[in-house]
Parts: sequence; structure tokens; C-alpha cells
Amino acid sequence: MSQPQELLFSKEHEWVKVDGDVATVGITDYAQNSLGDIVYVELPKVGSTINQFGNTGVIESVKAVSDLFTPVSGEVLEVNTGLETDPALVNREPFGGGWLFKVKLSKANETSHLLAPESYDQLVAEEGR
Amino acid sequence: MTTAHIKRTALYDQHVALGARLIPFGGFNMPVQYGGILKEHDAVRHRAGLFDLSHMGQFILKGENVPQWAEELTVNAVSTMKPMQARYNIFCNDRGGAHDDVIFYRLPDRWLLVVNASNAEKMWNHLNVHVGGSGVKLTSLHGHNALIAIQGPKSVEMMKGVTDCELGDLKYYFCTEGAVYGKRAVIARTGYTGEDGFELFLDGADASEVWQRLLREKEADGLEPAGLGARDVLRLEAGMPLYGHELTEEISPVAAGLQWAVKFAKPEFIGKEALEEQARGDRYPRIAGIVMDGKVPAREGYSVFLDGAVAGEIRSGSVAPSLGGKNIATALVGKEAAVPGTRLQVEVRGSRHGATVAEQPFYKRPK
Repeated sequence: MSQPQELLFSKEHEWVKVDGDVATVGITDYAQNSLGDIVYVELPKVGSTINQFGNTGVIESVKAVSDLFTPVSGEVLEVNTGLETDPALVNREPFGGGWLFKVKLSKANETSHLLAPESYDQLVAEEGR
Repeated sequence: MTTAHIKRTALYDQHVALGARLIPFGGFNMPVQYGGILKEHDAVRHRAGLFDLSHMGQFILKGENVPQWAEELTVNAVSTMKPMQARYNIFCNDRGGAHDDVIFYRLPDRWLLVVNASNAEKMWNHLNVHVGGSGVKLTSLHGHNALIAIQGPKSVEMMKGVTDCELGDLKYYFCTEGAVYGKRAVIARTGYTGEDGFELFLDGADASEVWQRLLREKEADGLEPAGLGARDVLRLEAGMPLYGHELTEEISPVAAGLQWAVKFAKPEFIGKEALEEQARGDRYPRIAGIVMDGKVPAREGYSVFLDGAVAGEIRSGSVAPSLGGKNIATALVGKEAAVPGTRLQVEVRGSRHGATVAEQPFYKRPK
């Protein structure tokens, strides 16, 4: 499996796309596939402050409730409201239309705690074994 | 339980080859899903799905006294079963709680008793404790025999040419003995999905060939393998109880709304007095169907409120694709909270969400 090269990854299977001081966050293709059909997504409130690797919401598949963590700290600028009516978008387009929320980064250097695509590939390969 | 003790059904290699996600269930490594729970659910409601249910306990009961003996151990009638009839039944403890819910199949020379996988060992012990001097001979085929279910509106059509039996004429909750792809099988028009379909009881050694051929030859007609995940959604929509959720050693058949299966006219059976007292008093917590207002799924263990006070808890919950994606659930609640139309609140992660008590089943197949 090969990950989109412009992204960074967390060990909890979230991805981050950093654009200046704004980061877009989602879950990886591996994560959506492991979860199965996603039926409900609970996202952080716009305007709230979230901390790296903290619990920021919930993703529910038909069978399971999974915690959602944020890979970066900052203020939540926007959430993907399209997921309210179509949570399965996370399954169909995990790296695209199924993004979860956008954050105004408060600690630019903390991205050093995240994984580069090839390291994330390795993590997935180990978990899948 | 360590992985070393988790058994495999005769179809384990088939599941691996199909890329199924396997989880330990009832002591076996079982497929929870193949292509996705919603996709498999759709196949069963509109075409057909193929399930491996070989983890379920299959016991053979022999002897003239089986019906009389079984009457005293179960709540439903056994002696009135016709040859080749199948009947849902419940074994209770003396407090009226459910020991297991099962199906009896009356075959010409024997009875087949199918019990829940999670209760197979408990039930085997229970039967043996009570077999006493009854003359009933018990044999366990658990883990030896296989059970393949084909469920969905196209099941009858798909089974044509596959078996030498006229399955279109087989009545619901009746069975026949015949051959499936030349392999000896008990073929029953039973299931746990709310759809038409059949359950095929086979020797484990014959299961792989039947499974593979059915999938290969009927794929073009829309047959898909379906896992336990889809099965749970299908049964919940169809208002069928799942042991450990709507029925337990504490939740009686009366509390589960299964009084239709309790024959109080029978002179004696384990749990009768307790069940009679419960039914007469009518003050017991009971299982109610619930439809959530919004998108938040209700899950097992969530608290349920009526007018701000705790009324009970969720026992099963799922999104219901057959109800347009509404979230449905069962809850064990007090009498007042179980009346259809009653407004309730379900607490999800600290906030309360509106829900309405609904008649079960949530889903009935089009006739």
C-alpha cells in the first residue's frame, strides 16, 4: 500500500495535510477499511481548541464505536458538514471528500511527531500482519 | 480464551480465501463480514446471502420419549410438532430466565436441536443433567456438522437444480431430507434474517463443496457470502431476539415479548411458576423496540430515560438500512416506557437524544 505523498500520518491512522498554518485532518484508507461501513461521525465544535493526540470525536461503523484523535493542536476552523448526511463519504473518499476537520495550527513544530508516508506504510504493514 | 482454543468451522479456508474479516464468536473463528455489512445486508434483502452458521450447536435427540421429555424442559409445545416440522423454543431456568433459545426439527427417526454457539456447552451439560432415565439418547454434532444458510427473496429460485427436493412447496418452518449437489442434507425453510430462505444441515466434510458451488454458480444471480455482522442487523430489523441481548438467564421469554412461545397450558415445565407469576403481576421490565430521532446510533448498555428518570438500558442497537437508515434498538425498560409511541431519551456520551417506542418487528418482508 502506498500513501498520498503530501500527507503526514499519526499512529492512530489519521492523516494531516498542512497548508501554511492550516491543517486538514482525515482518517486513512487503511482506517476506513478496518472500520467498515461508517454510519455516524461526531466531530469537534468549530471554534474549540484541540490538543495533539487528544480525543476529539467519534467515528461509528455499523458494529463499532471508535474514538477519533487529532494529530495536531489548534483551533477548529471548519468541520466537514457533508458527513452529517453522508458519513459513508469517509469510506469512499478517505483522502478527499471524506476529510473531517480543519485546524489553525498552534504548534507548527509538533508535526515532527507525525509519520512520513513511508513510515506509515510500514506501520500498516506491521498491523496487517 | 487464547487463540489456540478458537476452533475453525469446516468452511474456514473458504472464508480466508474470500478475504473475510474473522472474529472469535462462540468459540469459533467466524466471518463478521466479507465485502461490507451494508452490501451484504442489501444482498439478503433483495437477492440472497450465503451464511456459514456451523458454529451453532447441533444435537441429535433419539428415542420415543423425546417429545414428552422435552416438554418438561422447554416453554413451547414439542409433542404437537408434525413430522418434518421445525419449531422455535426456549429452555428456561427455574426463575423463568432463558437458558437458551433454540429450534427443534422433527425428523422421521430423530430430532435435531439447534442451539446458540455461545450456549452450546452449557446446553449440552443441561441436556445431559436432565436426560436421567428418560431413555432419550443424545449425540452432539457440534463442530462436526456444518450449517449453511441461504437467505433472501431469490433463495427458492437459486436452489432449483441444486437439490432434488421441491423447495418451493416446502412450508415455512418445515424441513425435508434430500441431497444438495449430491450431498446428504436436512433442508429447512428457517432462518434468522426476516427473509425467505433455507438452512442446510450437512456433514462438515461436504460443506466446502456445497458452499463453493453455490457461490460460483449463483453469483450471477446475485448470491453473496454474508457474515455475522449483516446477520445481526437483519435479525434486529426483523424483531428476532439474540441470546445474550434480548434473552438472558435474567431476561425471561415473557420479558422479551415472546409469550406467544410460552404454553402455560402445559402441565409442567422448568420455569413455569416463575413465568406465570411474572405474566400475572405484569410489573416486570420488558424489551421494547426503539427508533432514534436522529443520526446517533444507540448501542448496548446506553441508559434510557422516561420523563428524566432512568427507565432502563439499550440491549441491541444498529442502523437499519431497511428503514431508510434510521437507528433502531431494543431496550429493557419498565412497563410504562415500553408502550409504543412513548417518547424516550437515550444517553449517548453524556447527552440525551430523543427516541420513540415502536412496534416490533421493525421490518416485515413484502409478501
